[in-house]
Amino acid sequence: MALINVASREIHCKIVYYGTGFCGKTTNLQYIYGRAPTTARGDLLTINTESERTLFFDFLPLDLGAVHGFRVRFHLYTVPGQVLYERTRVAVLNGVDGVVFVVDSSPEKLDENFASLIELETNVRHLGKDLGEFPFVIQWNKRDVPGAVPVSTLDRYLNRRRVPTFEASAVRGDGVFATLRTICKAVMARL
Amino acid sequence: MEQLTNLVVSEGELGNIARVLGRLMLDTRASHVLLLDKSGQLIATQGQVGQRDLIALGALLAGAFSSSRHVAQILGETDFRHILQQGVQESIYTSLIGEQWLLVVVFDKQTHVGLVKVLSRKAVEELERVLERVRGAGAQAREAVVNVQFRSSVENTIDLLFQD
Repeated sequence: MALINVASREIHCKIVYYGTGFCGKTTNLQYIYGRAPTTARGDLLTINTESERTLFFDFLPLDLGAVHGFRVRFHLYTVPGQVLYERTRVAVLNGVDGVVFVVDSSPEKLDENFASLIELETNVRHLGKDLGEFPFVIQWNKRDVPGAVPVSTLDRYLNRRRVPTFEASAVRGDGVFATLRTICKAVMARL
Repeated sequence: MEQLTNLVVSEGELGNIARVLGRLMLDTRASHVLLLDKSGQLIATQGQVGQRDLIALGALLAGAFSSSRHVAQILGETDFRHILQQGVQESIYTSLIGEQWLLVVVFDKQTHVGLVKVLSRKAVEELERVLERVRGAGAQAREAVVNVQFRSSVENTIDLLFQD
């Protein structure tokens, strides 16, 4: 839920990166943190397990500065990808304004991607929203892995709603900002 | 329950919120009092902390609160509407306001937790009334801010800042 604070002249929006374990959600945020202008980004906050997997969420505030006298902020979150953390994913989705679904293009991950998407649909529905009428983009990540599933196949099985999609290699940074720009604009369009 | 698309807090209502938070801070001798949206966004604050710290604090406290509600469900409880996080020097008491906002009181060992609980409850009642008014006034106030030119300027800024 976007917050428009007329008195302090600020607008805050929440974007969540969702997807299976090791699909590259945190890598997206790390790349954005590393490349965004220092004036536009806050600190990257990460709550990891001992094995460096996301335990609760990662959090990166982005600040567009003043636009027409209003300070516009996007707060980026990731969810923990591991199956057993579903409740935590629901908690992080609370009040979300837009979702990036990050897909691992490795062939052995197709089934997990599918299950994660179904779970996302269910969780968004529990928030009283329909993913089809909600700022939502898909990122085909890990396009650089050997034997990556063709985009046309991923699109057929995972993009029934025909939402915007982006090929990416979050490790190299390919497609990361294109994804970010599109979800930010989609959120603004719904404000 | 359907979540709102957006929530617009007017100058007048922010003044009302500031008065409630200020009085609570004074009466409890708390070091900080915050009002958060449950999505983790900071709405108003009283006390001295750097802005950047507060943004992270808001995200973490809202996450912890949301997580605790799921713990309640697993235990078969209807809800946890308050959380107390107790430290050696400082403690935090968080209360839910009308399923939408969180009132957070940060206080040290000079303050008795019972006082914080009672006065937080009073503040929550007042803030619930503010929240109801804010919910009712949303659409009109939003249109005054978010128009075509504004959206277009934000899009240009996004293109300018978020480049490879």
